[in-house]
Amino acid sequence: MTPEDAAARLAEVVGSGAVLGGAATADVAREQWPAAVAAVRDDEALAADLFDGLLGVDLEADGVEVVVRLWSTSGRHAVVLRTRCPADDPRVPSLADVFAGAAWSERETAEMLGVAFDGHPGLTPLLLPTGFAGHPLRKAFVLARRQETAWPGAVEPGHSTPDPRRQPLGAPRRRR
Amino acid sequence: MTAPPPRSRGVIALIEENCTACMLCVRECPDWCITVESHTEPLPPVGPRGRPRSRNVLDRFDIDFGLCLYCGICVEVCPFDALFWSPEADYAGASLLHDREALRGWTASVPPPEPEGERGPAPGR
Repeated sequence: MTPEDAAARLAEVVGSGAVLGGAATADVAREQWPAAVAAVRDDEALAADLFDGLLGVDLEADGVEVVVRLWSTSGRHAVVLRTRCPADDPRVPSLADVFAGAAWSERETAEMLGVAFDGHPGLTPLLLPTGFAGHPLRKAFVLARRQETAWPGAVEPGHSTPDPRRQPLGAPRRRR
Repeated sequence: MTAPPPRSRGVIALIEENCTACMLCVRECPDWCITVESHTEPLPPVGPRGRPRSRNVLDRFDIDFGLCLYCGICVEVCPFDALFWSPEADYAGASLLHDREALRGWTASVPPPEPEGERGPAPGR
């Protein structure tokens, strides 16, 4: 199935569908999250039977987005579903009952972004050491090493000492 | 042991003559593993109506391969073709911090550029 056909069918199944980055993509309300993923898996045309991956995106004030990518082994097309939870209530229903393999990805997303997955069988940290405080993939998370290392790019062409006014590209403004 | 394919990301080679110390690679490097220092030298004016110019002269070009994540952004971003991938894999030696002399040494193993037609089809989605 072409991405365009998959997106059209996705719109019939979950209410919206568009081609984004070559994959049929839809945004789903948090309340319908596991039901929508199960519907895409069980739909005869979409038949997205392979769980490819689950991840989170920190949108700061707009909350956290949880993205799941599925693949149809029969139709050879990808389906991406996204849901969003507000920053002050970072909870999303778990997909562990829909795809058992999502449990590990949800453990990783939970520890990295601080999203709680309701109904998950055991949301213990997967990669971070015991007792690690904070969620490293949140944009507000301060990387200690970055704070104590001098940025080599602060040196201007033709100079050998850093210009203190120059800040790393894309770095959050240093607090004064 | 078989030799790695010519386009392998083994170690980064520096052609110092092409480097203008523009700092683009240093600033684009995601994990800050490149350090460049330079100074400016005046060039005499060319011709009777020329004006004096200056150029940057490299003092230091270090890549710390202990930090490098082999993303190749520095090679991609270099506007003067001073950085190249070498497939050489045996470069650990005494230190992973390679200075300009060490980086220059890898230029000998940089493969010649492949003709445009022989790269195969562009990666599809």
